[in-house]
Amino acid sequence: MSAYRVTEHKRRWIVLALITIVIACLLSPWASPHPDGLERVAEDHGFLDKGTAVNELAVIPDYEVAGIPWSVVSIGLAGGIGIVIMVGVLFGVTRSLTRSGGDRIERRTNGLEGIDRT
Amino acid sequence: MHIPDGFLDAKTWITTTVVGAGAVTYSLRQAKLALEPKRVPLIALVGAFVFAAQMINFPIAGATSGHFLGGTMVSILFGPWIGSIVMTAVLLVQAIVYQDGGITALGANVLCTGFIGCFVGYGSYMSAMRLFKGKGRAIIAWMSAWLSIVAASAGVAILLAFSGTFNLATALTAMVGWHMLIGIGEGFITMLVTGYLMERSAVMTRGGLGHERVSRNRA
Repeated sequence: MSAYRVTEHKRRWIVLALITIVIACLLSPWASPHPDGLERVAEDHGFLDKGTAVNELAVIPDYEVAGIPWSVVSIGLAGGIGIVIMVGVLFGVTRSLTRSGGDRIERRTNGLEGIDRT
Repeated sequence: MHIPDGFLDAKTWITTTVVGAGAVTYSLRQAKLALEPKRVPLIALVGAFVFAAQMINFPIAGATSGHFLGGTMVSILFGPWIGSIVMTAVLLVQAIVYQDGGITALGANVLCTGFIGCFVGYGSYMSAMRLFKGKGRAIIAWMSAWLSIVAASAGVAILLAFSGTFNLATALTAMVGWHMLIGIGEGFITMLVTGYLMERSAVMTRGGLGHERVSRNRA
């Protein structure tokens, strides 16, 4: 039986990074403006107007950076900012997970390796 | 499929917030055990891709659109615990920075598009991979992503019905109906991206298909 794992070819990850930037910054302004599945259902069944937004402090509501007259630029910028935030947040969270639990897992894996080698 | 504030009543959003917070805490603990340090930048990059891809609504059936969610894709790549953490991070940033998805509905969104999406997708992917001995990986990826979207939409429908918005049968028919179409797009993106980012490993692993088990030792 064959196993699969994530690729170690650096080039493929670089391509994914480029695709991500292109989608977030260049493609995002051309997304369909139509309501999505849930909004469609809410509209058809008359509860769309029940939707509110508790978070009034949102910096970039609806993916448009305020104060920019061209929506292509303001949405593209919102996408660019978003991918930077995502990388930052996930890098921080996952790194702190590898660090805080590091010692414990290190010992456990070493133990297992010891058994494997004998 | 991001639930805004106001769609869920108090008992529903308070319950889902508590359960969602518990689920995230638990998966942080589980992810800690499965996480390899060298994967950290890759996970961050895939998370950014998920965020970007979720911005692209594609038109379906006239005046409706759908967008990628990504739970199954991330879970196939890194396992469902890390998958659910990535999805939670995406939903958090969307709700806090972009007002996309409600704050009171965050728990519900984390449970439906995060946990249901990741675990239904990953579970069906792994079961089918075992059943067919790894043959037809692309089709299996497509099907499990499609199934995860349908399951997530059923989850949202149940929460809406539980909130007294409309009755369960109507909610399920409407939500599942639309998301059977939207899931087609989810399937294709999941199939293409996992196909591009994964490779056959020559290493024989215990259990055969353990994506996480391939190189556990920390170099």
